[in-house]
Amino acid sequence: MTKKIRILIAKPGLDGHDRGAKYVARALKDAGYEVIYTGIRQTPDAIVKTAIQEDVDFIGLSLLSGAHNELFPKVVDLLKLKNADDIIIFGGGVIPESDIPGLKEKGIRAVFTPGTPIKDIIAYIESAK
Amino acid sequence: MDIDSFAGRLSFFFNAHNDLLEEVAKFRAARRIWAKVMKEKFNAQKPTSMMLRFHTQTGGSTLTAQQPDNNIVRVAIQTLAAVLGGTQSLHTNSRDEALGLPTEDSVRIALRTQQIVAHESGVTNSIDPLAGSYTIEKLTDTIEEQVWHYLNKIEDIGGMVRAIENGYVQKEIQDAAYRYQQEVESGERVVVGVNKFTINENQPSDILKVDPKLRDLQICKLSELKKQRNNENVTQKLTELRLAAQDSDKNLMPVIVTAVKEYATLGEICNILREEFGEYQESIVL
Repeated sequence: MTKKIRILIAKPGLDGHDRGAKYVARALKDAGYEVIYTGIRQTPDAIVKTAIQEDVDFIGLSLLSGAHNELFPKVVDLLKLKNADDIIIFGGGVIPESDIPGLKEKGIRAVFTPGTPIKDIIAYIESAK
Repeated sequence: MDIDSFAGRLSFFFNAHNDLLEEVAKFRAARRIWAKVMKEKFNAQKPTSMMLRFHTQTGGSTLTAQQPDNNIVRVAIQTLAAVLGGTQSLHTNSRDEALGLPTEDSVRIALRTQQIVAHESGVTNSIDPLAGSYTIEKLTDTIEEQVWHYLNKIEDIGGMVRAIENGYVQKEIQDAAYRYQQEVESGERVVVGVNKFTINENQPSDILKVDPKLRDLQICKLSELKKQRNNENVTQKLTELRLAAQDSDKNLMPVIVTAVKEYATLGEICNILREEFGEYQESIVL
């Protein structure tokens, strides 16, 4: 039997908008994944610690404050530092399309913007696992 | 403590979404419930204690990244809902907030929306203008009844703080948000420009970009401030704040105000409070 895919949904930074993150977390759980949600206002450090502790395969970062260019790459860097860069990071939230190439260059493997159907996120996870 | 000595200063914060009549009914139901709670449960005597004062913000989750100008219409409907429902003040969201922080132009349209409703639409000329409408009265009754059900349930749990600690409130909100989004995903609920009436489009090019240098500039200003202020006085005020925080009978506000007058920063003040009270840990329920 193959191990269930484990996903950490995390909210770095200071915005409290968790409707989307919680929706994605629950929808992925309903789709059969093991999902852990961090809660709001997490530091990149705390997110990476949880990801390693929980032995996850993916981290989904949600941010709606505009600080994604700063905070998403910090999570990538910290994972590298802890030799855990086999964990795949994707992101979502209020992120202008023009920021997406830069984020991908820095190791955010996929970015999902408002209006994305959940099946697109599931399809991504299935293709990347 | 006499309820009438402070109830007149309490106020609420509501959201306004797209279902115009339901939203108006929601605000009306809230006003009824508040009046009854204050009068019957807390035995308030002053009419101002029974009046519900509220601020409204238009609903952020209703904004779409697709065809963002459509959000101007959504915000206008939500504005009308809030005003027809009797709000005291209003925050209108900008059309581009699903794409980034709003531009000056977008913020101006959001402000003009309020001004058009206030000065041109005429809806402010009477109080509770939809009262007596069959649909509004029926919706108000239904919502009121359902809210009483919730209030009783929360009372049974042991009050609102307990209900938040055990995740009941969050669960109810999340379940509703989940149902809503599932309806959007299935197409049962139409969101114009998202799951119906879509077009091939490019994102607007004028999305606001915040210069990362602003952060460095602010850090510089802060360290300059910390050099120039009287740091002895700051330390003293922060110590006074700590002592006040340790005394459950003390009102912290006057102490905070004197600390701010000495240019203690928000971070320094919050750090003291964090050290004394700890931090809120949200209970996670999925």
